[in-house]
Amino acid sequence: MKRSLAARPSAGLVTAVVVAVAAVLAPVLLQGSQVSVYVLLLLAATVVTGLSMLMGYAGQVSLGQGSFYLIGAYTAALIATHGMPTWLGLLAAPVAAAGIAALVGVPLLRLRGHQLAFATLAIQLILLSLAGRQEWAGGDIGLQGVPRLEIAGYEFAGDASYAYLALGALALVALITRNVVASRPGRGLRALATSEVAAASSGVPVPAYKQAVFSLSAGYAGLAGGIYAFYIGYVAPGSFPVLQSFEYVVMVAVGGAGTVWGALAGATAITLLIQLLNNVGTMDGMPAAAPTVLSYAVYGALLILSVLFLPRGLAPSVAAWWERRAARRRPPPGDSSVPSPHDLAGTPS
Amino acid sequence: MSAFLEYLLSGIAVGCGFALLASGLVVIHRVTQVVNFAQGMFAVVAGLTAGSLLSAGLPHGVAELAAVAVAGLTGLLVGLIATGRPGTSPLSALIVTLGLGFLAYAIEIMVWDDNPHSFAGLGGAVTIAGARIQRQSFLVIVVAAVVFALLAVFFGRTYLGKALSACASNPYAARAVGIDVTRMGLIAFALGGVLGGAAGVLLTPLQPISYNSDVLLITNGFAAAVLGGLTRPGVALAGALTLGVAEAMVAGYYEASYQTVVALALMLTIMVWRASRRTTLQEEAAR
Repeated sequence: MKRSLAARPSAGLVTAVVVAVAAVLAPVLLQGSQVSVYVLLLLAATVVTGLSMLMGYAGQVSLGQGSFYLIGAYTAALIATHGMPTWLGLLAAPVAAAGIAALVGVPLLRLRGHQLAFATLAIQLILLSLAGRQEWAGGDIGLQGVPRLEIAGYEFAGDASYAYLALGALALVALITRNVVASRPGRGLRALATSEVAAASSGVPVPAYKQAVFSLSAGYAGLAGGIYAFYIGYVAPGSFPVLQSFEYVVMVAVGGAGTVWGALAGATAITLLIQLLNNVGTMDGMPAAAPTVLSYAVYGALLILSVLFLPRGLAPSVAAWWERRAARRRPPPGDSSVPSPHDLAGTPS
Repeated sequence: MSAFLEYLLSGIAVGCGFALLASGLVVIHRVTQVVNFAQGMFAVVAGLTAGSLLSAGLPHGVAELAAVAVAGLTGLLVGLIATGRPGTSPLSALIVTLGLGFLAYAIEIMVWDDNPHSFAGLGGAVTIAGARIQRQSFLVIVVAAVVFALLAVFFGRTYLGKALSACASNPYAARAVGIDVTRMGLIAFALGGVLGGAAGVLLTPLQPISYNSDVLLITNGFAAAVLGGLTRPGVALAGALTLGVAEAMVAGYYEASYQTVVALALMLTIMVWRASRRTTLQEEAAR
């Protein structure tokens, strides 16, 4: 009994340490274009962590999370291309995204369920259409020649340095999320996802909390967008298609909403799978449309299968399976020692 | 003045297309509580199929009807996958229909390609008071009017239609009197497919369709349907006509690229306005 209690946290801890070590070593071990896939994976995971919190804890589906990514990227690019210090751009990106989310959230968060999902999608379509028409934002061509990020004299020049920057951003975001969901407001959020009326009557300030989570998740997306702008070096409306926002939802659904681990698992699984399919699709003898066809088919199939057959997502389902297996091997412990899936959220990478 | 009439009539024609799409959304949502994101895909499938059948030598009319039937079958299939598994919540089913939309992208690119396609509809144009209006526009308006009249008769006068309405208002009571709610859901999806397909077949000659046209179609259809709270086809028709005319006016007098922005902003305003008139308690009770 004593052994099994001691063994369980270590299983989670070992996973966390392994993932963390692998994440830190990856930029050194990977070569060439693999590093850029890794950077984009980390940025996606940063966005997905926020969306997972929004979907899993506040129970709100956003089909337009890419719009905050876009706002972050444009903010960073505008500041950097106007001769202001680039670190200011990186700081301003999440602030601008969170600020705009707070403004937009006032009317939008009155909506729920499919209406909110649709409204966020509409916001992104409007934003894309407007961004393509603005002179100062470079129109459809976008903003070219964004300078490299420079913080306190250190220039982020290589792929590896951006990989560490993105890793740092992801760690920061995971830490914030972990503390938010473990706090008293976090419990309030979980309550309002089930029933807003019940939560409100037990003293949860429902509108304020929904606003806060919406802005926070937008801030994450803005931060990731800012790093993206410096890493890629240009931003254009075409870089932020609606499909990307759907992709984030797929990642959350596949990984499991409401846990940091789920966000990481979803982002990693989808990014690697799409990369693999891209490699298959561009092999000799494949038709030109193959990569597109394959990626659409896989998005669709994964989304359908995970929603129908793994409704809780990859990470929580695997954890539950592991728990069941472990429980079978040892004598049944007291009920209080069975962890809820949310406990998994407590381990950041 | 002639320009105004031209924009007005083409707006009404496009609006009628949106209305057919929106009525499909409404039928499916009424019976199953599912918001069907694949509704725009039905129109795309029907439009592309009709084009292929016509170029394969089928006569007009037959090809279009066959394409609508294909869309109806697609609707049935979507319904089977999205609601066939017991215990799927409407919000999960929404995400499933989104996934089916992606799968359809893959199939559409394989069967056709990723370029916009069109086919010749009712050729020629008529001149009324100096305004040159395509005859296809009139065809869209007439067909939409007939379909809406048929829908009204179907829901008001036939047993099947009444059974569908019964499922919509109280699934438990419907089951108690012996109505198979699951089968009614599938019929609603098939009917949604037919309505979406009709929109696609009618609109393709007016505006070429490609695999990803469904996003714009569904946004417009949803904008129209949401006006009636996704339950009242008549209000959806009014919404669709307003939307179509507003878009045509913006495109005609201002700039074409702003027409979606106008439609979306209109939809957001209406949704937020409607939400502010309902309390949270009412909304959760309605779930």
